[in-house]
Parts: sequence; structure tokens; C-alpha cells
Amino acid sequence: MIKISKLIMAITMLSIVATSCKKYDSELPTIAGIAVAGADFSTLEAAAVLGGVAVTLSNKSTHPTGNYTVFAPNNSAFARLGLTDGGSLAALNTTFLTNTLLYHTSGGNIAGSAIVSGGSSASITGLNRRYIFRGSDKYINGSKILATDVKASNGTVHVIDKVILATGVNIVASAQAVAGGGVFKAPELTFLVAAVVKSGLAGVLSDPMANFTVYAPTDAAFRAIGFATVQDVSNAPAATLQAVLLNHALGGGRFTSEYSGTTATTAGGGTLMYGPFNNGVFTIKSNGITTPANMVIPDILCSNGIVHIIDRVLLP
Amino acid sequence: MTATKIISILLLSGSTMAVAQSPISGFMQQKNKGNIVLSYNAESYKDVYLVPKKISGVPVFEKVKTNSYSLFFNYGISKDVDVQVNLPFIKSTGEASPQVLSNLGYSNERSGLQDVSTYVKYRPYDQKAGKGRISIITALGLQLPVGSYKANEGLQSIIAIGNRATQLNLNALVQYKDDKGFFANTSGGYSLRSGDVPDALTGEIKLGYAIKQFYVDAYLAGQSSSKGTDILKEGFDGVFPKTMVNFSKIGLNAYVPIQKGFGVAAGFSSVIGGRNVGAASGGYGALIYSF
Repeated sequence: MIKISKLIMAITMLSIVATSCKKYDSELPTIAGIAVAGADFSTLEAAAVLGGVAVTLSNKSTHPTGNYTVFAPNNSAFARLGLTDGGSLAALNTTFLTNTLLYHTSGGNIAGSAIVSGGSSASITGLNRRYIFRGSDKYINGSKILATDVKASNGTVHVIDKVILATGVNIVASAQAVAGGGVFKAPELTFLVAAVVKSGLAGVLSDPMANFTVYAPTDAAFRAIGFATVQDVSNAPAATLQAVLLNHALGGGRFTSEYSGTTATTAGGGTLMYGPFNNGVFTIKSNGITTPANMVIPDILCSNGIVHIIDRVLLP
Repeated sequence: MTATKIISILLLSGSTMAVAQSPISGFMQQKNKGNIVLSYNAESYKDVYLVPKKISGVPVFEKVKTNSYSLFFNYGISKDVDVQVNLPFIKSTGEASPQVLSNLGYSNERSGLQDVSTYVKYRPYDQKAGKGRISIITALGLQLPVGSYKANEGLQSIIAIGNRATQLNLNALVQYKDDKGFFANTSGGYSLRSGDVPDALTGEIKLGYAIKQFYVDAYLAGQSSSKGTDILKEGFDGVFPKTMVNFSKIGLNAYVPIQKGFGVAAGFSSVIGGRNVGAASGGYGALIYSF
């Protein structure tokens, strides 16, 4: 009986000691685990769940190293898009959300030291991201890299201050996707799309060989200058719309992080005046307006340029 | 009916992330004696023990509350053989926002009858030792899902009420109780589980005081799974029943007989460590009729 008692005691102790005394602190979390554990990644966590990548980022990648690198937007990065919590992600088209999360993700480890000025890396969507150094700050596209080399058991995390956005299609198709609810479920840029079509600039702006920066006014911006409906835009003279739109386009696609000058000449020959670069954005003023436009969603990479969504029409 | 005969008390079966104490006690019913227990248990957690560390905020659901009702029957076939049957109804409630639920097509509630468990307890040894008694008790238990609840609904199953495994549980316990009513026991067990659910080793150490007028105990219980995936770690595929569930839990139980065979019990427990388990704390109250 004493032997049996000892055996029972041994099983008990083994079980309890094994569970209560064991600490796992020395193990690394996965990338999904980092998102779930980090208080500043709660929106990213919800996005990963909704976008269907939480299980993916809990596991090894198909890359030979088995690793991923994720540029992880913090909560304030999502909040810039109006995405202030998990529930607010309902505003997004889910396919776009998934593709956007994958645009933040690469196979293999990209160490912080491999982020070099002028460099780039491919995401697992196949679309590239560019590295830009500005002063002592490092950027991926227009997003500042806040922290590098957070180690995960299945890769590496770098923290960024803006969600990086890429459409994979040209500027016109991108605007049409936004207008059709393919980005935010609520259509946006519908007035702009009508203006592009009516002005006859759709061909130029969808030219795969071109490379533009385009400031894209919101629907509210068009309403503010007197267009009550999309039809009103379509009814406007093509030449007028073309002149206005050309004041929103510049040769050469550039992220906010790449701007340094205070003025620029538009495709229509007009002049834009830039405010100081502040927290990843700057204001833009044209000759025809008194209050500068603000960037609502900057740095959207398209296949033939970069679009910054703004809150005012830049009248020439 | 003395308090000492009663207490196995509550075989409070747990949901995926909430867990139970040992199903057997160190006390036997007498022949043709037994009790019926109706209990209500409430617990909650917002922290979860994951690997490598405890996180704050249950993924998707933020906080989880579990409320359960159990009907427990305990009967002495002979001086040294008891049978126990337990059937819990469990409601598990999350606090995800309506918008998050709508986004994911999830629900904040899962409820239903969970698993019926039946144990046969056998006491092969019960002898006087010094100023007390030593007894050894073994038990064989079978736990079967009876409700139609689901266990594999992706992350929705964070609030699943069970894992739908059929379990065969083997337990053994040794207890010393002195003539004044103080007792100490330790028990260990192995739980064989069907399907994807990993087997587990269980154990408990309990100290208590049991006299005719009342009963009280304090325990440390634990479970260690034989294998399994870790939530959000390599190998995790969103199937919660496959996860390794380890935990350590502390708790208190107390019982007071009232009159005419009726008595009341209450207790508290708290998960103090573990792996893939909610840091749940809660309490229960129970009405007991002994015959």
C-alpha cells in the first residue's frame, strides 16, 4: 500500500509540478502571437482574424527559411484610416483587407539591417515595397519604421506608423475600385472617376508605361466646389474637367516620404505649394484655393504611380 | 448523514478554456446512501495563458463568462463502491462587439448540455493508522458528449462549451484523515480522450477539515496534456480541440448541512497558471440533498 501511495503521489506531483512550475517565457511567440499579445496591435490582431491570416502567421512560411517578415502597423496606423478598433474594420472590403495584410508580409527574414536606402523588397502578393531614408528616419513606402527586428519564432516583425497600401492595378482602375466599394465598402472617389472619364484623361492615367503622382480629391471635396451629384460632374465641360484634373497630376510617382521641395509644377503647368512634412503628411495648396488641402489617405501605390487622397479640389 | 460522507462535491466539467477539479473525493458514501446535488457555477476570464506568456484580452471575445448548472448524483452500492453521475448545462458568453460579430459571422454565446460523466469509485484499502485512517480510492470514469454543441468552429470555438471528446478516466487517490477531522489527500489520474483531443495527466493535492457540522477544503489541482498544438504557435490550424491544455488551479470548497438531509455548499477557484487556458476565476453554490 505504501508503494501505491507513493505512486499516486508521484503522478500527482508530476502533473501539478509540470503545469504549475513550467514557464514558457524563454520561447518566442509567433508573429500572430506578437500581434495578439501587443496592446498596440489590437486592431492588427482583429484585422488578421478578419482577413484570415491569423492562422497563417501562427505557422511557418513556405519560404525555405520557414519564416515571414511582417511590417506591422500599430493601432494609430489603422486609426489614420478611421479604423479605430476591430469592429470598425467592417468598413473595409474583406478581400482588400486580406491583400493589404499580405502586402505587409514577405517570405523569409528581412533583418532591420537589410532595410537600406533605395532598396526594396517583394511582399508575398508579388508587389514591391520601397525603402526610403529621410534624415535619420527609415520608411517603407510612405510609412515610418518605428521599431525593427522584433523576433518571432516564425520570423521578424518591424513596426510601422501607417498601413501600407497597394492596389496592383493602374491609377484609373484603382480609383474605380475605390468608387466600386472594392477598398472601403462605402464608395469613395466616385466624382473623381466621373471626372476622369469625362475629361478624356482615362487613357493617359491608365497607361502602364506612365508613372504619376496623383492627388485624388474625395467626393466631399467635389461637393464643396458645387458638384451636387456625380451626374453634375459628367455634365461639366470636358476641357474644364481636364484642366482641373491636370492640376492634380505630376510626373513621377512619389511617396510622401520622398518629398522635400515646397513647390511643384503640375502636368497642367500649374504650381502646387507644399506645407511642411509633418507626421508623414503635408498640405497642398494650389493657386485657385485659399485653404490648403489635407491628405486623407496618402501613399497608395498603383502599378503606374502613387495616389494621395486629399480633402480639397486643387483648382488651378 | 455527516458532512464527511458527502463531499466529492462538484464535478464541474469545464469548457475549452475553463477547467474542473478532481472528479473524485477521499470520502465514500455508505451502502444505499447517497446525495443529489444541484449546483450553479459562474466564472470568467479576460486573460489567457498562451505560450510564451499570459495575454490580456481574449482574442475576438475580449472577456468570457461561463455559467453552468450541474446535476450530480452520488450513490453507495456498498461500503467501498460508489457510483457518480454528473450532467452539466453550460452557457459560455463572450463580449465581442456587435460589429466584430457581424464581421466574422460569430456569436457571443454558446450553450447547451455538455458531457455526461459516470464514475465508479472503489476503495480497496481503508485502515486505521496511528490516530487516523489511511484510505486508497480508485475510480474509473466515462465521459460522453450528450449535447449537440460544436467544438470545431474556428476561432468561434474560443467560447465552445466543450471539446466533444469521449473520455475514459482512471483515477487513484490516497487520503489520511485524523480522528479530529483533519485530512489530506492526493490524487492522480490519466484521461484517455478520443479524436484529436490530447490525453491528459491530472493531479490534485487537497487539505481539509471534515466533521459532522461542516466540511471545508483547499486544493491545488493540475492537468498536463500529453501533446497538442499551442494556440497561435506553429502547428496551430484553428482547431481548438487539438490544443494542449495545461493548467494549475487553486480552490476552496465548503459544505454545511442544514436539516432533513439538506445542505449547502459553496466554493471558489482560480486558474493560476497554464498553457492554452483561460485565467478563469469563479465560484459556485450548490444545494445538496443527502439520503
